Amino acid sequence: MKLNTFDAPGRNGDFAARPALAQQWSDLMSGYFDEAVDRIARQLPAGARPQFYNPVGHGSTAPDVGGAAGVITWNGFPRRFLATGPGQPPRYAQAEPTPKSGQARPQDEYLEWFVTRKGGKIRSVTFTCEGWDYYDFLGDNAPDLLLGLYQRFVSPAVVLGDLMRNGRYDRLNRWNTRDGLMHLTERANNLGAEVTLAADATLRRRDAAGVEVTSAVPLTRCAQFGDPARNSDPAIGAAVNALARQGRMITLADPVGLYIDRLDDSGFRLPDGSRPTGWFKQERGVPGLMLRARFEPPAGSAFTVSDVRIGGVPIRFGGQIAQHVTMKLTGVASVATSAAAAPVPCVGAAIQPLVAPLAPAGSMPTRGGNP
Amino acid sequence: MTSGREPLLAVDEIQGNVLVGFNKDHQHLLAVNLRDLAAGRRWLARLLPSVSTMRQVFEFNQSFSAERRRLAADPPDMAATWLNIALSHGAIARLASPAEADRLPDRSFVAGLGADRAVFLGDPSGPTGDPTSAWVVGGTGRAPDVFLIVAADRPADLEAAVAAVRPGPGDEPGAPVVVWEERGATLSNRPGHEHFGWKDGVSQPGVRGRVGRNRFLTPRTAPSTGGAVEFAEPGRPLIWPGNFVLGYPYTSPDDGSPQPAPRLARAWFRNGSFLVFRRLNQNVAAFTAFLHEQAGHLARTTGFAGLTAEHLGSLLVGRWPSGAPISRSPATDNPALGADRVASNDVLFGVDTPVTPDGFPPGLEGALGPICPRAAHIVKVNPRDLATNVGPDANTLTHRILRRGIPFGPPLLDPLGGDDGVERGLHFLCYQASIEDQFEFLQQNWANSTGGPVAGGHDLLIGQTDDRRRSIELPSLVAGQQGGTVTAPTQWVTPTGGGYFFAPSLSALRRLST
Repeated sequence: MKLNTFDAPGRNGDFAARPALAQQWSDLMSGYFDEAVDRIARQLPAGARPQFYNPVGHGSTAPDVGGAAGVITWNGFPRRFLATGPGQPPRYAQAEPTPKSGQARPQDEYLEWFVTRKGGKIRSVTFTCEGWDYYDFLGDNAPDLLLGLYQRFVSPAVVLGDLMRNGRYDRLNRWNTRDGLMHLTERANNLGAEVTLAADATLRRRDAAGVEVTSAVPLTRCAQFGDPARNSDPAIGAAVNALARQGRMITLADPVGLYIDRLDDSGFRLPDGSRPTGWFKQERGVPGLMLRARFEPPAGSAFTVSDVRIGGVPIRFGGQIAQHVTMKLTGVASVATSAAAAPVPCVGAAIQPLVAPLAPAGSMPTRGGNP
Repeated sequence: MTSGREPLLAVDEIQGNVLVGFNKDHQHLLAVNLRDLAAGRRWLARLLPSVSTMRQVFEFNQSFSAERRRLAADPPDMAATWLNIALSHGAIARLASPAEADRLPDRSFVAGLGADRAVFLGDPSGPTGDPTSAWVVGGTGRAPDVFLIVAADRPADLEAAVAAVRPGPGDEPGAPVVVWEERGATLSNRPGHEHFGWKDGVSQPGVRGRVGRNRFLTPRTAPSTGGAVEFAEPGRPLIWPGNFVLGYPYTSPDDGSPQPAPRLARAWFRNGSFLVFRRLNQNVAAFTAFLHEQAGHLARTTGFAGLTAEHLGSLLVGRWPSGAPISRSPATDNPALGADRVASNDVLFGVDTPVTPDGFPPGLEGALGPICPRAAHIVKVNPRDLATNVGPDANTLTHRILRRGIPFGPPLLDPLGGDDGVERGLHFLCYQASIEDQFEFLQQNWANSTGGPVAGGHDLLIGQTDDRRRSIELPSLVAGQQGGTVTAPTQWVTPTGGGYFFAPSLSALRRLST
């Protein structure tokens, strides 16, 4: 794949009348990619070619494979709040503590949500998957655009002073925490991290015994990308690494982003037995690249979100809906090019093996009896 | 906790079908409603001596296998008849108390398999909006109280056993009443296969735990790795018993290590297991016609030249009719591989299946994959080494179920000749420690979804969607060619009955029947 520029996440149209700003954003993204490529090049033996590339400026001439080859999906509800044992309910309340100004949400699957309640009933649940670094960029380069987005999507009452602190954009401002939601807040939920994770995952890894590491958690720990306790990071890392092992050149599809793929509301029912059809609406991003969505009843409905039952269980938390949201990112993988570099050692020395020394590392849930 | 400290399983308490499995060619299911409570208790008490324990079934199966090895054939004189009992939430509410029934640790069991959970599973709603309204057994407000599984090697033995357990003329007024019953049997023309023609039940979890001082429930032939996840044999990871029976250590979703048994609200829940029953009709003629039509269409494209209906069906299943996995035999069926119990289950989807002494070709999913479609049935319900939409590969272990199903209805001998109007399908039965986290998760989060366990489409065999249309991405059969997408306009598997039950321990059954 070759590109001239990176588009804004979700092809959101923010830069429609501002070509200079669009170029600045593309340059920023391109910088992320170059940095990520340099980072992995430093870990490869001299002369070995990184399998991750920046499609802007550099590009790859190998044909890309189509279909779902590069689509990676994960569940939007944070895994760390799921039950650890059979029959134990998810910890919904902990996943969405009462929002406070200056405090990030603990939702770390690149999906965060905000619940609006009135009279003890949930009126709406708003979801976003926009990385905070995009808004940092707007704060630095186009504060008027930043303010306009907040006024349009969060509240007309927002003023620029609410969003800035000491002259810089404050991503944990009240309108993105206590009083609303504009973009992701959790520390790890940013686009730079996505690029770095994808790039790092293209490096094949070997443990101290020289055995290639392929299982998700050992790989995540070995390469030190992301958090092995999430849904997303092990899934992304393992899927990208599998493509790399096949000798493919890999990059991320433009526009780079982590997107809401869909809400599966097939098990949702209203008290009258009907489906809450049309309650989940995309608010930002072009079709197929959903950046923001809201679940709420249409005007005039007799029901609230609290009246919706999922498998018979009434909605009491936004997380119950998030559990049915599928997230995605799209990578681009070339046909196999025999580009696969040899595995490199794990990062650092503090990798905790998941298996005892006698066991082949990376063999965790695979099979028995293998050398 | 190391293997040496695997828990001693209560073999005289756990019912025999849960962890061991009856594995009989003939099985009869009865749904029974209690009427007068005292009469119901007396009927249950009458059945108690006949309820088969884990020890009885385990010892019989061990002896049977030893004899079969010695004779190189099924031993003609060895036969057994088994009975297991499970109770609905409503029955436990009556026999114990509503509060106790509500404390059983599974929300789906407490809710029961009525319209709410059937909708959640994606079952076709029909004009009433209640998917269960036309079910022949179970459904909204009609959950049977007691579910009996009677199994035998010989039909005559089964008849006698069913007659003995059935509440009938000999029982007092107010005695329980049978509201539904049906016979299941392995297919006469293809034992071990389901009605569509594919081998079923190839992969079952290996359950950890000991049945005696130095005897494992699941024999170990693979060398111990000493790691968190070990294998009973190649392709069969060991799972801690708490994922199937209440009161035992369970498997960590993070790394497969054992976690302490959850505290139970009532001591009598221990050694019990949740049972899911689904009566699934299979439209064999429509499925076969679909395969022929779609294979003919795809075979005209460069990536699928020569594709046959059987090959297409095998791509949807992930196995050839013999049971040979597509990953290890991409081009044609390999009946010898399918017949090899261990080798046919020794397959990986994320990396190559390493060369093993089994003599069959390794799978090359790592180097060349995907070979097996990512939405093939066997990937959907058991993604093995793949990281999934819910995290690392170890987590896949925690969604496994112990399947105990058997076909019902006669085989359709000429599937291309159209439907004969006779019902046939599968009595799907599975045991687990949480219906919500295991059976329902597999159906709702993976089989019905295009994004789980990994992207690639629906499970065209059991997946369900609102509009019944489902699709699957197929990798090309020719290296370097684009793959294709197959869209199914309808479902060929339709739920026509079911229920959620709890199979209590023997002592709990005794307690509930007095």
